[in-house]
Amino acid sequence: MFEFLTSFSPAFILIAAGVLAGFIPSSSISSHLRKVLLVGAPALALVLINTIYFSQNESTYLGGSMSFANIELTTLRIDSLSIIWGYIFCVAGILNGIFALHEKCKITDTSALIYTGAGIGAVFAGDLITLFIFWEILALSSVFIVWRGGPKSYPAGMRYLAMHILSGVLLLAGLVIYGRATGSYAFNNIGIDAPGGWLILLAFGIKAGFPFLHNWMQDAYPRSSVTGTVILSVFTTKLAIYTLARGYAGTEILIYIGAVMTVFPVFFAVLENDLRKVLSYSLNNQLGYMVCGIGIGTQLALNGAAAHMVVHILYKSLLFMSMGAVLHRVGTIKASELGGLFRSMPYTAVFCIIGAAAISAVPFFSGFVAKSMILAAVFEGGYFVVFAMLLFASAGVLEHSGIKVPYFTFFAHDSGKRVKEAPWNMLAAMGITAFLCIYLAIPGPYGGMQYLYNLLPSEVAGAAKFNPYTASHVIFQMQLIMAAMFAFALLKRYGLYPAERRAQILDFDWTYRRLGLALVKWVSAIWTRLGAFATYKLKNFFSNIGRRMYQVFSPAGTFSQDAPSGIAAVMISGMLVAVLLVVYFL
Amino acid sequence: MSDNNKPTLTPQEIVDRAEAHPAAVPFLWLGSKQTQRNFIYIPLAGMIIFSILGFLYPPKYPTLWESGLRYAAIGFFSYSFVVLMARPLFKLLSRPENYYGEDGEDSEDGEDDIEPVDGEGDNV
Repeated sequence: MFEFLTSFSPAFILIAAGVLAGFIPSSSISSHLRKVLLVGAPALALVLINTIYFSQNESTYLGGSMSFANIELTTLRIDSLSIIWGYIFCVAGILNGIFALHEKCKITDTSALIYTGAGIGAVFAGDLITLFIFWEILALSSVFIVWRGGPKSYPAGMRYLAMHILSGVLLLAGLVIYGRATGSYAFNNIGIDAPGGWLILLAFGIKAGFPFLHNWMQDAYPRSSVTGTVILSVFTTKLAIYTLARGYAGTEILIYIGAVMTVFPVFFAVLENDLRKVLSYSLNNQLGYMVCGIGIGTQLALNGAAAHMVVHILYKSLLFMSMGAVLHRVGTIKASELGGLFRSMPYTAVFCIIGAAAISAVPFFSGFVAKSMILAAVFEGGYFVVFAMLLFASAGVLEHSGIKVPYFTFFAHDSGKRVKEAPWNMLAAMGITAFLCIYLAIPGPYGGMQYLYNLLPSEVAGAAKFNPYTASHVIFQMQLIMAAMFAFALLKRYGLYPAERRAQILDFDWTYRRLGLALVKWVSAIWTRLGAFATYKLKNFFSNIGRRMYQVFSPAGTFSQDAPSGIAAVMISGMLVAVLLVVYFL
Repeated sequence: MSDNNKPTLTPQEIVDRAEAHPAAVPFLWLGSKQTQRNFIYIPLAGMIIFSILGFLYPPKYPTLWESGLRYAAIGFFSYSFVVLMARPLFKLLSRPENYYGEDGEDSEDGEDDIEPVDGEGDNV
């Protein structure tokens, strides 16, 4: 049995579990079975991945071969790069399942399982066609999670779907060009110089939230349900990071794209009042660090990107979970409506603060041991301006995720809202995630840092030698954090910190939600008028022809009128002359 | 009546304690205005201490200019710049909340087959 289960991608187990969950009736007892699947299927996948990878001696395991249109597909490739993504996706699937235990929603459970399976399947795809198939399943399954946010999420879901279908189309076009030119669909290093390379990069860039392609994230994620946002925050973007690391490591343009990604969301996050939207911008900012590391492409940078991906999934999930718990209890997540909730939800507050400390890279929290690898790689690569941008963005992260989210939710002024603490399952999921956020940052034989570093993709020696706990690193990181906190306290004390206000903040999506829509309406109106004008002109034209024909051929027309025989004779003679001339000259 | 019999809690504090989660009661002082006003001294002290230590332990990755305070300066000015840019950016980019005609109140509407368990969902 176990041998059979290890003969194909664990993704299929999750997808099958998702389909099965869809057929389980909605009764109370059956919903428990669905929850068993929701937590058990990712756990089983984790065991299978581990067993497959460590039961053989090769550094790369290839399996799950299939033939499709005379093309050999490899649906299961486990190597040093994909294994770390596989592990954390399974762990995130388990944590998401625990967080969603209170929710009796068949669609969310089904979509979450298929979505998780598609993410794992894409990570273990050995060829571009398998990647494309899981890429599309990922998009289609996740949009249902967006739509579970209620009627207000439908338009956002449609835009989300449009962007991801576009990403799929670009990937398909790119892989066809690439496959025909190279004769291989294997998913290895592609590079922008390869045929179709730019198309594939653009496809990955949409999912990774490149600048101007990022709005689907801030549009859809905050509109999903309490549990939906937590699930969505894990897979799509981190899969994109994996594909970039696999196909475009060392591509220099990614360094600058990543640097811009770290900086611009900081300004939007400080303006936003919706705290899940703040976290979505924060997600975009954190992806920038990873993209930057992939662009550097050295062993240290790639390890940094992978480590950052792992810790980021954990602390960003934790932050989304805590905000989800607040939304679940209070009914709003607007910063202007919250405050003082530590009185009612002390455990959630502690977990949120741990997430905030982790994302702010406070020593002995997980962000510290990962982000520093990317910063070190950028500095060693001689990209000093990019290094300065990343440092600036670090202060920005502290603003929106480190201070703004916990402060305006749990402290600040007392909103007077007195609610229950989060349900036990939410607390359990947050507790485990918070534990991992600390454990993975603890050095030494009893800490988890060694396990994290040993999982990193590039030569392990490079990662193992990296020590984030040097005196200078700890001191200067603490300098940055303390100074930023002091700036916050100072600005707050002197009333220079802007009050949270309800508003719609315009971002690049204005170009298609307003400008593009207005353009389409204008073109449509012009088209309608042109159509009406053309119809009027054509009608006139045919009407004139008809009238003229009538004037000539009708019983009252010219040809029916009596005419003197002399005129007829002249006309016939003229025609005879014309015929003779034609015959003579031709 | 001796001083020992005087109530040590104000009526407001008694109400606050009654309303708070038991685990939060020992930490209710975090919500006081005095605590929030004096919070500034913690990061100030931290910044001074780590700035002094910064002169003793030179950084492995120095910034573009040389000074033991460099990371503190980056943290302070970067943070201040981001926050101070918020007002002009808000004026430039903010629109009414229903600008796109889609946004409404936060809610978990749509989760129509969610059944609260153990009386969840009720605000105390």
